[in-house]
Amino acid sequence: MFKKFSSEEVSAQNQVKASVQRKIRQSIAEEYPGLEPVLDELLPKKSALVVAKCQNHLNLVLVNDVPLFFNIRDGPYMPTLRLLHQYPNIMKKFQVDRGAIKFVLAGANIMCPGLTSPGGALDEEVEAETPVAIMAEGKQHALAIGFTKMSAKDIKSINKGIGVDNMHYLNDGLWKMERLN
Amino acid sequence: MAEKPQPVRVLYCGVCSMPAEYCEFGPDFEKCKPWLIHNAPNLYPDLIKLSNAKEADKVTEQLQSTGISSDGATPSAPKQEEVKRLPGGKIKKKEKQEVVIEKVIRNKRKCITTVKGLELFGVKLSDASKKLGKKFATGASVVKGPTEKEQIDVQGDISYDIVEFITDTWPDVPDTAIFFIEDGRKVPAA
Repeated sequence: MFKKFSSEEVSAQNQVKASVQRKIRQSIAEEYPGLEPVLDELLPKKSALVVAKCQNHLNLVLVNDVPLFFNIRDGPYMPTLRLLHQYPNIMKKFQVDRGAIKFVLAGANIMCPGLTSPGGALDEEVEAETPVAIMAEGKQHALAIGFTKMSAKDIKSINKGIGVDNMHYLNDGLWKMERLN
Repeated sequence: MAEKPQPVRVLYCGVCSMPAEYCEFGPDFEKCKPWLIHNAPNLYPDLIKLSNAKEADKVTEQLQSTGISSDGATPSAPKQEEVKRLPGGKIKKKEKQEVVIEKVIRNKRKCITTVKGLELFGVKLSDASKKLGKKFATGASVVKGPTEKEQIDVQGDISYDIVEFITDTWPDVPDTAIFFIEDGRKVPAA
């Protein structure tokens, strides 16, 4: 999704009003309860929250020009990888085997066999259509953020095709955009 | 979770910006290696051995005059040509810096001169079009040409002295880099 992404794709950047800001905060807090203690630091109430609208119904949530979260249409907010690296335990985690790393880092979606093989690992509770962190075998940090297409159980039983959509991965356009403008 | 989770500090590679452990899958592992040896030696233990061995080989192969520093931080091939890499790992060719001038005839006896490629020399196209218009007393505009490239359209046939004008106004543009298109062929102007 962010394979080719640059500041050119940002069509509008608005400082959102307080009510919208509250809504964003609330949905992030709901989605990532682990983030609640530090939410005040991440999204300080005083400093302005900026939402950048991009192509393909994509929204970026910026604080001090740093992109922290993104979402599509009215979908769930997902943290950027830089944020996830700081707070790795806020998301459910999937792990892919070593062979899959290079494809994921090229932007490929995550196929089921890469998650079910000995090198992979699944969080059993994950339902379909939830954001997950994609970890890798033998690595400490997340390498991508995905959006599940099937539930973890289905991934195990079907074991074929795309299990997780790759939303944001290391070294993609959003990763390279450390700050906007 | 009552306690505040502290942000984890991740070691990012100074070359490719990825977390250091992912450098091996990065766009250019070779370039990252010196940095890694220097900053994250425990991540890739075999790398140091390897590089030391390699450098030792090199030294013996080449003249045995200069002693190599033992920290291994010296890049092995600094003179390699810089190539821009696309996200797919493909090598992007550097665009040739040239200005192409073409005369397009419309309405039989009227024509438009298009100038392509001025932006490759760091020339602002809107400024350039204004200057061209002023100099030749015609309309000149920046137009989006084919394949999303911007070009300058100037009304009238000005190919006779546009070369001189370009080299005079923007000394960065050498006249060897200016080409005409005549009968579908590229002809150097100078």
